[in-house]
Amino acid sequence: MSATAGLRSAALDLAAIPERIQSEVERAIQRSIKGVEYIASSGPSLGSTPKDILAVRGTMNLYHYRPMADEIYRVPILIVMATTNRGYILDMVPGQSFIEFLLKRGYDVYMLDWTAPKPEEKSLGMEDYVLDFIPDCVRRLQQDSGEQDVTVIGYCFGGVLSLLYGSIFSDGPMKNLICFTTPIDFREMKLFSNFSDRRYFDVDRLVDSVGNVPPEMILSSFEMLRPASRAVSQVQLWENIWNDEFVKSYRMFDRWATDTLPLAGEYFRAITKDLMWDNKLFNDTMSVGGRAADISKIEVPILHAVAEHDHIVPYDAAKHLIAKVGSSDKEEVMLKGGHVSLVAGANAIKRLWPKLDNWLGGRSI
Amino acid sequence: MVDKGNDPAVIWQTMIGEMEKGFNAFANRAMESPEFSKAMNQAGGVAAGAQKQLGELMEKYLLSMNLPSRAQLVGMAERLQSMEGQLNEIKALLVQMNRNNGAPKDGGATPRPPRTKRPPSEGEQK
Repeated sequence: MSATAGLRSAALDLAAIPERIQSEVERAIQRSIKGVEYIASSGPSLGSTPKDILAVRGTMNLYHYRPMADEIYRVPILIVMATTNRGYILDMVPGQSFIEFLLKRGYDVYMLDWTAPKPEEKSLGMEDYVLDFIPDCVRRLQQDSGEQDVTVIGYCFGGVLSLLYGSIFSDGPMKNLICFTTPIDFREMKLFSNFSDRRYFDVDRLVDSVGNVPPEMILSSFEMLRPASRAVSQVQLWENIWNDEFVKSYRMFDRWATDTLPLAGEYFRAITKDLMWDNKLFNDTMSVGGRAADISKIEVPILHAVAEHDHIVPYDAAKHLIAKVGSSDKEEVMLKGGHVSLVAGANAIKRLWPKLDNWLGGRSI
Repeated sequence: MVDKGNDPAVIWQTMIGEMEKGFNAFANRAMESPEFSKAMNQAGGVAAGAQKQLGELMEKYLLSMNLPSRAQLVGMAERLQSMEGQLNEIKALLVQMNRNNGAPKDGGATPRPPRTKRPPSEGEQK
């Protein structure tokens, strides 16, 4: 920068100082007012898209969302949610709901969501999720919709369950498969892999002593991936507390992120041993309930959406999925964003949702 | 208008962002070591054992105070949930029966839309 330009810039700064001070004072006052409001009020109501509960069986919940279009695609969608978190991340508030988006675009949407497994459900294993819960939901969906075909969408570990289901029931009713940020090479989830290092992590002792793995432990392991981020997000909240839209968004995502579910003990044991330790899905040696789960058997059209800055499922852990499935109609799409902003929020509205609609519409007739 | 490069608020936010990235990266490097895994799992194992013992102790205490334990409350919640589940099953069956009889879903609500939608052609408004 030249000396003249520097002086001009400094002069501009001096002229703007009173305006800037006034703006900061106004924000400080707003922060105090809004800060009190924040503490005194509850957050926005989440997951309010009208739906019917088709089935509740222990930890398994099957919803059907009421159609919003005059005409819908023939093939219904079953969303399989990750077992660690609640499904309302895909149905935040009107205008920011993936479910609402799908309904308005003419899809018939069902969701397999999870509630906390009860202590007596600690014996639920991988086979209960893959060979019982998902097929049961598919059957109920077929009965309810009158259609045999189904598009399965799995988010994160819901994607892993969908892959296992699709590989075991490769001649079944799954017509299309969409995975969001689905890990397949668990060695590449480096921190989780280190946390569960078989030399130091006694999963048998943990499961045998606590039964279901407590949600606090799951949440801590997620938060440890970015240990400074919670503190920084609190600072950002305070700075932006005058901004209603920021606060609304913060509350939605913070509530969801901390609303972590416990994991059934045997299920957690299987994840640790088969996936984290032996990397069986990647090594093509995975089996569930004695049935081989080789994902090369999946031959339906598949879309895998991954996030450029995913700190939970890094790209290296997800990138082999498309190469390993047997489908000829397959596509991976990498979008800007992180593990959560890929599927929800302003980023998703602009990027993932329209992409998914373009891909799925023609395959849903 | 304030030059963004000289705006103290922007400088502060950039600094916080950089500190966050730096600390996360530093912590992640430390957490990739086997020593970290060992220490973390030793602490975690002790905590899990302590949690179990505390739970058993609390159960005995609640019993002596003639108060319901968590297990008993969970049992009650289980029964309520089972009743809710059965009601949902009955509701689903009724809806199915209504539909089989040609009545609209939910006894009078709008019928389901036809499954005839085709994807819009290129350039068409969605």
